[in-house]
Amino acid sequence: MSQRQLALILIAPGLLLVAALFLYPLGFSLVSAFTRPDGSLTLEWFAKAFELYSGDIVFTVIIVLASCLLTALAAIAIAGTLTLGENRWVVGTLKALYRWPLFIPFIVAAQCMRTFLAKNGLMNNTFVSLGLMDPLSATSFLDWRGIIATFVWKQTPFVALLLAGALASIDRATLEAGRNLGASRLRVLVELALPQVMPTLLVALVLSFVTMLSVLSVPMMVSGSQPTMLTVDMAFRINAYGDYATANALGVITYLISAGAAILYLKRGMSKEAAP
Amino acid sequence: MQVGVPDRARSGAAISVRDLHVAYGGTRVLHGVSLDFTPGSFTALLGSSGCGKTTLLRSLSGFVPVQSGSIIVGGNDVASLPPEKRGMAMVFQSYALWPHMTVLQNIGYGLKLRGASKAEIAAKVASMLEFLGLTGYEGRKVTALSGGQRQRVALGRALAIDPGILLLDEPLSNLDAKIRMTMRHEIRAIQQRLGLTAVHVTHDREEAMTMADRLVIMQAGRIAQVGTPEEVYDRPASAFVANFMGAENVLPLHVERSERGASLRAGDATAEIAAEAFDALPAGDAVAYFRDDVARLDATDAPASDDLLVPGRIAARAYPGGVYRYRVEAAGRQITVDDAARHELGTKVGLRIPLQRLHIFPASEAGIAA
Repeated sequence: MSQRQLALILIAPGLLLVAALFLYPLGFSLVSAFTRPDGSLTLEWFAKAFELYSGDIVFTVIIVLASCLLTALAAIAIAGTLTLGENRWVVGTLKALYRWPLFIPFIVAAQCMRTFLAKNGLMNNTFVSLGLMDPLSATSFLDWRGIIATFVWKQTPFVALLLAGALASIDRATLEAGRNLGASRLRVLVELALPQVMPTLLVALVLSFVTMLSVLSVPMMVSGSQPTMLTVDMAFRINAYGDYATANALGVITYLISAGAAILYLKRGMSKEAAP
Repeated sequence: MQVGVPDRARSGAAISVRDLHVAYGGTRVLHGVSLDFTPGSFTALLGSSGCGKTTLLRSLSGFVPVQSGSIIVGGNDVASLPPEKRGMAMVFQSYALWPHMTVLQNIGYGLKLRGASKAEIAAKVASMLEFLGLTGYEGRKVTALSGGQRQRVALGRALAIDPGILLLDEPLSNLDAKIRMTMRHEIRAIQQRLGLTAVHVTHDREEAMTMADRLVIMQAGRIAQVGTPEEVYDRPASAFVANFMGAENVLPLHVERSERGASLRAGDATAEIAAEAFDALPAGDAVAYFRDDVARLDATDAPASDDLLVPGRIAARAYPGGVYRYRVEAAGRQITVDDAARHELGTKVGLRIPLQRLHIFPASEAGIAA
């Protein structure tokens, strides 16, 4: 048996798995998004998807982008404190706590947020009992704000973990050189440390973007109202109407949105490989 | 903000360190160090690894918190100030240039922090680059520079803010030997031209001797000796300093004081010394330190005259170039000696050591030097 055949046999299980669980469903949904039941080509499912859900498409993109932005800020704050913090107690506590959400599934996080952010939830009740809020003015946050809060809470530790690792691996003297010349710790973080770990931050955010785009439980549980995210719409088309064609069209639109993020990711990877 | 030609003579600032104690966790690293740095002086902190020289430099720059003691600069105690408030410029061993910035941005960063305009920064950086022999390198990425060029940019970045004090943390140890020689002279010349107070940490004895006008030898968190290179080299204050400065041959002696002076006994060899020559000579068991190049090989029965002539046997020979290097067994010790003549292994020889080139310390002190 030649080396080449042996190599093919070795990668065959993986290849088959990818083909069966990813390529086949992807191809199938692509085909069904563009064809009528009789097999003729059409764009009518896309027309229907845009007609019914164009608001949700925009909503989804905005929610995910806003969540990414806030996740980035929170992760930078955490990773920055872990790297440049001088108060041992603060750094130690943060280090012990910040990773916990990583181990909590989205669905559990969404359930926690429901009890936390509801009109009579833990957060408002705490504010009321502290005298910070009048009980009548309490409002529910279980809408777009709840979705963003859940996404940020869930994804921040992941981004912070990668970022803190990258920050820990840069030459500490480059940060000390900044302080030595008179830069405050915040300036050192923003102007000297972050630019050196930008590729890692971007990769972590792209991965978070794609993850958040594909979550069904959070928008379903946290915000029952309209507008909502594309995953909920897809589930609705299938469960309520058995309308696989429109659901697949929505799926293709989701692919295209995440492809935008994937292009960013690949471009980063290529420019990094091209660098000496 | 003073933006001008960098070769304008400036005066460095004085630093006065008093009873400095520093600890990492529970481990004491500096045990009450007191030291004065006069304006415009070039001081080298020298010692083996773990002696606290880098810790002393880093506590001057503010990167290591001080447990107690004071660091007075310009009349103010800066010991409790964060690094960014101390106004000391530091050059790092790894150069610590910012890889995402150009040469211009690296050198100009300190000026930017001080609110200089773009034009001012460009002018100052251009004159700094000319000063460092890197004219026209503004737009280069620092990752595209060679080691020597990077070190020059790092030096330029430190000098661009017109510091009174320049801290050098083993800045030459990552350079290859030839560039290191050049940079030694360049850094020394720049320091003298600008009149800066420089503190240089190194474990390279020759580097310290050629660059500094004062050496501070550190040992286990304390200062072992402070003096000019000549003083420290020729008159080491302790067995440790003698050993560290290259007097690596150790010869156990017995000293007996008499009316006329003192007599030295090393194995079977004896020598008499006049009293005035060795006032501080310890009595009883002692240890003598001397360099490879001060001793010579002679016949066993040659007249001793004013030297100590110790009988020995050649155990090994090497030829490093120019002279032969012998390992001689004498007085129960292995002694390394350079000699121009070629001798065969096993030959009985007399090890001739001029008395005034011996650094003699009480035997009780010798254990420390190991």
